[in-house]
Amino acid sequence: MPSVCLYFQVHQPFRLKPYDCFKIGYDRLYEDVDRNREILDRVSAKCYLPANETLLHLIQEQQGEFKIAYSISGTAIEQMEKYRPDVLKSFQELAKTGCVEFLSETYYHSLSFLYSKEEFIRQVVKHKEKIKEHFGQSPQVFRNTELIYNNEVASFAGDMGYTAILCEGLDSVLGYRSPNFVYHPPHNSAIRCLLKNYKLSDDIAFRFSNKDWSEWPLTASKFAHWVHRTAGNGETINLFMDYETFGEHQWPETGIFEFLKHLPREIRKHPDFNFLTPSEVVGKYDVKGEYDVHHLSSWADIDRDLSAWLGNSLQHDAMQRIYSLENQIKATGDEEIINEWARLLTSDHFYYMCTKYWSDGDVHKYFSHYDSPYDAYINYMNVVTDLESVVEEAVISQ
Amino acid sequence: MLGWEFPPLFSGGLGIATYGMVKAMSKRAKIRLVIPNSVPSNDLEDVSIQGLNKITLEEINLERLAYSLPALGADVSRIPITLSPYHFANQKISKSTINEFELLQANKGEVSDVHSIFQGEDAYANILQKIHLYTHLAAQLAADGDFDIIHAHDWVTYPGGVKIKAQSGKPLVLHVHALETDRSGEACRNGIYQLEKEAMDVADKIITVSEYTRQQVVQHYHIDPAKVGVVHNGIDPAPTIRKEHKLKDKLVVFLGRLTHQKGPEFLIETAEKVLRVYPRVKFIVAGTGDLFVHTLETSAYKNLGGKFIFAGFLSKAKVNELLSMADVYFMPSVSEPFGLSALEAVQFRVPGVISKQSGAAEVIKHTLQADFWDTDKYANYIHALLKYSALKTVLADNAQCELRGLTWEHATDKVLRIYDDVINN
Repeated sequence: MPSVCLYFQVHQPFRLKPYDCFKIGYDRLYEDVDRNREILDRVSAKCYLPANETLLHLIQEQQGEFKIAYSISGTAIEQMEKYRPDVLKSFQELAKTGCVEFLSETYYHSLSFLYSKEEFIRQVVKHKEKIKEHFGQSPQVFRNTELIYNNEVASFAGDMGYTAILCEGLDSVLGYRSPNFVYHPPHNSAIRCLLKNYKLSDDIAFRFSNKDWSEWPLTASKFAHWVHRTAGNGETINLFMDYETFGEHQWPETGIFEFLKHLPREIRKHPDFNFLTPSEVVGKYDVKGEYDVHHLSSWADIDRDLSAWLGNSLQHDAMQRIYSLENQIKATGDEEIINEWARLLTSDHFYYMCTKYWSDGDVHKYFSHYDSPYDAYINYMNVVTDLESVVEEAVISQ
Repeated sequence: MLGWEFPPLFSGGLGIATYGMVKAMSKRAKIRLVIPNSVPSNDLEDVSIQGLNKITLEEINLERLAYSLPALGADVSRIPITLSPYHFANQKISKSTINEFELLQANKGEVSDVHSIFQGEDAYANILQKIHLYTHLAAQLAADGDFDIIHAHDWVTYPGGVKIKAQSGKPLVLHVHALETDRSGEACRNGIYQLEKEAMDVADKIITVSEYTRQQVVQHYHIDPAKVGVVHNGIDPAPTIRKEHKLKDKLVVFLGRLTHQKGPEFLIETAEKVLRVYPRVKFIVAGTGDLFVHTLETSAYKNLGGKFIFAGFLSKAKVNELLSMADVYFMPSVSEPFGLSALEAVQFRVPGVISKQSGAAEVIKHTLQADFWDTDKYANYIHALLKYSALKTVLADNAQCELRGLTWEHATDKVLRIYDDVINN
């Protein structure tokens, strides 16, 4: 009896304001409050509110048989608290239905696992507290920033007590095998891996409105038909995607909300199929094999590696510089300074510095408010330089 | 083809560009080149441009060898007039060799005309008369009509091009390396502008060295956009070795004529701002021009004297040496049709901070660009390049990759296609 497991990522970074060299030493406010507020307003109007409403109705309509999962970053929750408490409330309404599972991640949506296990743990714990505070749940399932994953990440999460971890389903690792089963990492049978079915997930998240696609237009019934075809060769169809698919990446005019509205009904037309949360999937299905990933992978770009954040020297330099400040920052004992530093660890800052496709103009450019990856790097480094001087002053005054 | 003298003693980028183009094109087309001529020793006589006396005759001869005419593969005729498209240079035109002229052109041209012009008091006042003479002589050289296309580079040769078209009926292609509106302002409608516009109206096709300049031609000269095509200049690959300098200060280099068009006032303003946040830097200004004294005095007045080095006009070899040591190449041009020196800087792996109002900005994306007047942004960029070394490396690497497409062969492809279009219409 195969299940569909829907998971949505919700994230907003604290974007930096234009910060030139003349501000260094004089301006302690790094956040672009206006821009962040404006973007949150826009995304709430186009995505969060209408999608939440749609899903809430679907849950009610399907009388408890429609389940979904979210991972909401700490920085997104904080911005909702500050600028849009009504949006936070709409997520809480969903939590109350009992059909929505909230997952665990790093509070600041960072790559801290790669640089500082101590900071990684600190962020995960802080995030757990936030989820408990707003949604009354203690997350049992973990997902690392942008599904950055390898055996070590899985093992570490397992040691931290999580029952399952989400990751990308890589063809190179699966071989002939299907992502539609529960796996476990090598050397750690305690934790389970839920692999994203990237083909079906991306059909919705990326190809949905592409008129050149052979399968356009994608209706809920056509998609359900594909899902039903996995019967016999799959137990869990993991559809993992960015929540902004609904309304932001795929605009309402494309029919994405109609698709969503009809999806549960169409899937459930086949009596064998149901919807489960990640925890329920892991509880229900046995492990079918080992999923062995040495090199770090992610769900980003075609490459599905770390090149979106660590593909060039600018990114490496910036990343190395900010993490090198960890000890000094924490030594100040000043919560505000530590928070400013931690916000600078958010993966988006480095994403903006990516030069991979810059000349061609593409996905990266859409998400970046900078004119160029160089501008992103320069702006970031100027802020870091100021933070360094803040730390120096704090040390002197102690 | 009506072009310019090499070495580029007064021509600047224009001389280098025409040389590169002719060299590449002569492999695929038969070129008859008409250029003004001057004897090197005469270039130095009676000339008192600041910095110029640092150049020796030997250096000039060495440069001439680098730009040798026989190597061009073109059929070259020389008209012994020292002509330059740059106003400032025209003010200090040296004497020419009347004898040499008489020997070459004994049976053509009115020698008496030549005498009176060359012996005139105010050389610049005679510029239009010189052009008139050049036009006349060029037309005589082209009287046999044995060519398919007339290709004229920049305003001084345009009347020659127009006359040859009239007398031969062959199509005329104008090559715009610079515009009077760049030199003297967008609203300018002086004699040179009129001359440029008249030629543009008559020409069959106009080639500009950048999309930026193409827009200027369409907007300020009111030419039909369909008549104007873009052929970006190329750059010859050159062996370049980085020389890390032992100086305590970093070096920001400004290469170019000190004239309004090149933005020396923005250089000073930017330098002031950079020095506030990064004191260990020196600004090297290589070039001379009508604003040389003004720039020098302003820097002194603002107490920046110790941070500026005015190197004067440098030979190509010295420019290369400078680029091999530079940390930043700065080009705050008000209006730069192309900006070949920005590409030279790229060859030497010097990251560029350049004006958006330039041709170079459209061909080298991996530079830090700002509007010509935005000195805050320039300063922020220069500060970042001096402070964050990873930025320098990434920019230099990526910019070098972009040079690969900018060859004279590539430019020649485009020019020949334009010739075909023009001939077949």
